[in-house]
This record gives sequence, structure tokens and C-alpha cells, in this order.
Amino acid sequence: MKTARLHLSNDTSSLAAGAGRLADAWSDRPEIQLIRTSSRGAFFLEPMVERDMPGGREAWFNVMPEDLPRIVGGIGGTPVTEIPFLQQQTRCTFANFGITEPLAFDDYQRRGGLKGLAQAQSLSPESIVEELRISRLRGRGGAAFPVWKKWQVAQQTGSEQKYVVANADEGDAGTYCDRMIMEGDPFRLIEGMLICARTIGATRGYIYCRYEYPAAARAVKFAIQKALEAGLLDFDDYPFDLGVVVGAGSYVCGEETALLESLEGRRGVVLAKPPYPAESGLYGKPTVVSNVLTFATIPNILANSGAWHASLGTEGSRGTIALQLGGRVKQPGLVEVPFGLTLHDVLDRFGGGLATGSRFKAVQVGGPLGSLFPESQLDIPICYDAFADAGAILGHGGIVVYDHETDMVELARHFMAFTADESCGKCTPCRIGSVRGREILERIQSGQGTAEDLTLLSDLGATMKITSLCALGGRAPYPVETAIEHFGEEFRQGAHFMRPG
Amino acid sequence: MTTLHGQRLTETLESCRPLPPEEPNILQTLLAVQSVLGHVPPNAIPQIAQVLDIAEAQVAGVLSYYPDLLTQSAGRHLIRVCMGESCLANRSSLVLRAIQDHLRVSAGDNEPENRFTLEQMSCAGNCAVSPTVMIDEDLHGRVIHAGIPSLLEPYR
Ligand SMILES: Cc1cc2nc3c(=O)[nH]c(=O)nc-3n(C[C@H](O)[C@H](O)[C@H](O)COP(=O)(O)O)c2cc1C
Ligand code: FES
Repeated sequence: MKTARLHLSNDTSSLAAGAGRLADAWSDRPEIQLIRTSSRGAFFLEPMVERDMPGGREAWFNVMPEDLPRIVGGIGGTPVTEIPFLQQQTRCTFANFGITEPLAFDDYQRRGGLKGLAQAQSLSPESIVEELRISRLRGRGGAAFPVWKKWQVAQQTGSEQKYVVANADEGDAGTYCDRMIMEGDPFRLIEGMLICARTIGATRGYIYCRYEYPAAARAVKFAIQKALEAGLLDFDDYPFDLGVVVGAGSYVCGEETALLESLEGRRGVVLAKPPYPAESGLYGKPTVVSNVLTFATIPNILANSGAWHASLGTEGSRGTIALQLGGRVKQPGLVEVPFGLTLHDVLDRFGGGLATGSRFKAVQVGGPLGSLFPESQLDIPICYDAFADAGAILGHGGIVVYDHETDMVELARHFMAFTADESCGKCTPCRIGSVRGREILERIQSGQGTAEDLTLLSDLGATMKITSLCALGGRAPYPVETAIEHFGEEFRQGAHFMRPG
Repeated sequence: MTTLHGQRLTETLESCRPLPPEEPNILQTLLAVQSVLGHVPPNAIPQIAQVLDIAEAQVAGVLSYYPDLLTQSAGRHLIRVCMGESCLANRSSLVLRAIQDHLRVSAGDNEPENRFTLEQMSCAGNCAVSPTVMIDEDLHGRVIHAGIPSLLEPYR
């Protein structure tokens, strides 16, 4: 009998969904060859098994060990190209996902890897910066700063020693695309960092990876070793030194100045800017700090041109966005699409509506500092400008749906408590404001709230927004205020609100 | 600290001693100690400060700052329940309560027999398969509160 070639994801979330159980159960089955890949990102279908068929790959969804005979018999598979969740996406940065073996360097090259780096090697640093300017790529970590400007400053600042740092702290709950890249296509991250290093003249690079991502750290370390063996880290006149450094669970360490403090081994406290890291960063040297997804987007831009990238998306938001659906949606997973779809479209076409038994209440975009949207505001287009106009953020692309059972006062308290826990303590509005905010919400929660409490909360929010040193304090009021704005009656239910006068 | 602990601490610290002009890296030193001892005992602070040639307060400051640096030894198994928003939306607070009830332990504590330590964690990056419970290095997804006893059984 011919062996069936099966593909099964080795991504952390696929394993959490049960992929490991399948691999264990089938480890000694002679009728199959099991290849461990990255994940397509359609996590609601996981564990998903794909099989090479004459007409292309077919997939079986939510597979149990006893489903093997059906798969081997070729019964009931769906062509991967016909899965609507995937069919409607524009996979650029995530084109390899579900297809390649993450740590197979030849797989990466066969699928176009290293073309961007080769292109960069034929260009001057100035031309690379120019290509990025044309691409209009903005950083994907949250602040959406134009990438070319940062690279240009670092390139033009004279120094013997410069650094490239990948921000792999991925602190926003509800986001996981950086983890997927590190586990599933680590050479793409490395290629992006190498292009940056050559452009600015950096001799050292670090990937600052959060403690909660042990598999990602292992995969990247392994990939760096392979890149080293392949000679990729030998620059013309010097060796490029690239390493992985693990953090220790502080959210604010995702903020770039705090990250660099942490990388130097100190308390991860936010520093006032300027100077910006591109001028004076790690150990006081010019440093480009960019998000993992930002670096992973760069190889395609060099390989296909900046104009190609700029041709996707909307006026102020070029390229694709990696949205990560979570919470009470029916179809949680990774969605890569050009900017510009409405939030409603994304929830409907990709999210597939609400999980069984749930009714929509609100959706939060952009992590724990992101605003809440009620059903009436879902027609907002997903792009930086529209979100900025609405006082909201796209952040790192996390989208979490809350259902009818969500207690909005408790959720608001959770957000303030989060900021109080994670505040680095450097600036007073964030350090003390978040604690006072939490206390007010606890008072409301216990039924002791008054109308003045809501006024106080609003004044507090205004102060925190204007005076905090970084976006942790500066954005913390938004989820709370949008909860009050759209679900105010839940906050006014306490006894003291009832009392006349 | 037992003598065995003391010896392993000394060896680990030697490997972290900075070679001038290298600067000492406090966080990475503490993580190295934790990977060997399972936690960073506060009574090791003087020795760490001495090897790194810095003030004890600097070491203590870093140790108290980072949530993932533990100052107490954990039980044999560390259970971490995700309280990130995707998990919260998917009822992780019910999961946490079910574990607390089942083991009779509160979050942040060791269970009396010291088999389990229960902690809350922020996002594990497993949001699409949430709610998430991490036991040691194993990540469990789509956990339902009714399934807690069978989830914990293999770790007893
Ligand atoms: C409180 C706070 C947390 C942050 N966390 C992250 C993070 O986890 N990952 C990230 O890439 N950027 C994070 N940022 C943004 C970084 O400061 C920085 O803008 C980013 O790493 C730059 O990379 P980019 O230009 O590629 O976006 C955070 C910012 C703040 C204020
Ligand atoms: S929110 Fe729990 S894993 Fe992300």
C-alpha cells in the first residue's frame, strides 16, 4: 500500500487543541507519513489534518485519533482551497503557514525565502530606506510609526556599534501572530532583521521574547543556528551576532524603552523620549526596535518592491493587517487581509458570528488598552485613520468578542486592575491613577457608587490620558470609558444612584 | 538553602560573572538561578550582588519587579490560569474557581500537600483555543470548568 502523506501543525495552539494526541496515537502507523508543519491559523478547525491528494491538499477538521481510517481512505476531506475562512484571505506575510516545516531551511528557500535579503544586498542602505518609504509600511507593534523613518535615523546616526531588536514581548492579550511567526516561520523574522542590520550597519541583534512563549524561543534559537551554519550571519566585513533573550512577565516591557532597560537586565521601567532608541537605545547606541510582525513583513517588500506593498490597503494604512480573532466568536483564528474591511465584515465573514449560545455584547480591538465597540458601531473600517478618528487603536490587531453574559463593571474593573498591576511606577498618573480608578470601580461594583464617582472617573481618565509617560497610563482609560459610554446603565445600578437628589 | 542548593547556586553565578568591560545583567542572572533552583531564594541576594559587583538593593529591585521571577519554591506542578481578555470572555474565571474548589487552594498559593501551586497568568498566546490553563510547560486549550478533575488527574 502507498503511504499517505499527512500534514499536522506543530503550533502551540494546535497542540493545545489536541494535535499532539494525534501524533502520539499515530506514531507507529506504517500507512502514513506524518509531516509537522506550522498552522494555517484556522484554529477553530484544529486539530486539522491535511493530506496530499492528486488534486492538491485536502483537509479533515477537528480530528480525533480514530478518524485515521477515513483520512487514509480519502473519505470526507475538503480541498484546502475551498475553506472559506482561508479562501477569503490575502496571505502575504503568512503565505507559508500550514504549508512548510517551520525549521526546514530549504522549504523556506523553495518558497521564495531569502529573495528579499538578496535584493537588499544589491542595494545601498539609502535605496533600501527609499524602498521602505515607497512601501509606506508602518510598525505593527501598536504605535504604527513609519518604518523607514526609524531606519533612516539609525542609519544616519554615526556609531561603531548599532543594534537591531525584535520586540517579541507580544503582551496584548488576544494576540498571537508574533508567536505564530516565531514558531511557524522563524526564518522570515531572521531575514527581516538581517535586512535591517545591513541597512543601518548593526553588528548585533536580539529577539526579546516573552517568558510565556518557550516553544517560540526554542524555534527561533534553532533557526538562528541554521542561519549561522548557512553563512547568513557572515556580513561582508564582520559577523552579525544574533541571540534570543527571554523576559520575565512584565507587560510594560513591551514598551520599547522599558524593553531596552530589561534587555540590559534592569527593572523594565519606561524612559522619557527623546532621545529615541534609533538615536540612543541599547547601551546608549543607535537601535532599531521593531515588532516581530514588522520585521517579518519586510522580506516580501524587498522581494516584490515597495510599490507592491503600497498597492494594498487604504490611503493611510498600506499592506495587510494580521487580525487575531478571539473571545466568543464562532471561528477564532488568524486573518490576514488588506486594511479597509469593516469590523462587521471581519466578525461576520471570518468570525462566523458568535459562539453557540452567545449573543453579541461588545468587541474590543487592540488589546487591553483598546476601545470597546457596541453593535451599532461595527461599520468602522479597519485602518489607522478611522480608528484614530474614533479615539480607538488597532494596536497589534487583537479582536476579542464579549457576549451577553459579560459584566461590564467587572470588565472595567479588570482593565484598571491590569494597569495598576502592570504600571512600571515611573510616572504618577499611571501608578496612582490606575489604583484610584480600580478603587472607584470596586466601589461601584459593591453597590456603593454615586454619580460623583462617574464624574471622578472621567476626570481621572482625562488626567491620565494627557499626563502619562507612555500609552499604558495614557490608554488605560479608553476601555473603561467606552464601557461606561455604551453600557452606562450597568454602572448606575448601585443603591446610591437610586436615591433621589 | 541546602548545601546542594548552595553549590548549584555558586556554580550558576560563576557562569554569570561579567567579564569586564561587560556589564552585569541582573535579570538574566536571576533567570539562570531560577532555571536551576526553580525559584530565586531572597537569602541568595547578597551572594548574587557580590558576584555581579553591584548593590544588594539593585538585585532586590529587579527580583521584586518581574512577575515571572518566583521567590518561593512552587509545588511539584505549577498551574497557571490565563486571565487575558480572550480567556475571560470564554469564562476562565469559572475555570479558576473550579480549580480552587477542587484543590482547596487560592490563586497565588501552594496547595497543602505541596503538589500544586496555583497562579493566574496574562495571555499565553493561545487565545484562539481559549480558555487556557498551563500546567508546567503543557498548554491546555478549550478548558471547561466541569472538566477540571480529569484535567488534573494525570498530574497527581
Ligand atoms: C505599555 C506598552 C506595551 C507595548 N507592548 C508591545 C509589545 O508587546 N510588542 C510590540 O511590538 N510593541 C509593543 N509596544 C510598542 C513599542 O513601544 C514600540 O512602539 C514597538 O515595539 C515598535 O515596533 P513597530 O514600529 O514595529 O511597531 C508597547 C507599547 C506600550 C506603551
Ligand atoms: S487571552 Fe488567554 S491565551 Fe490569550
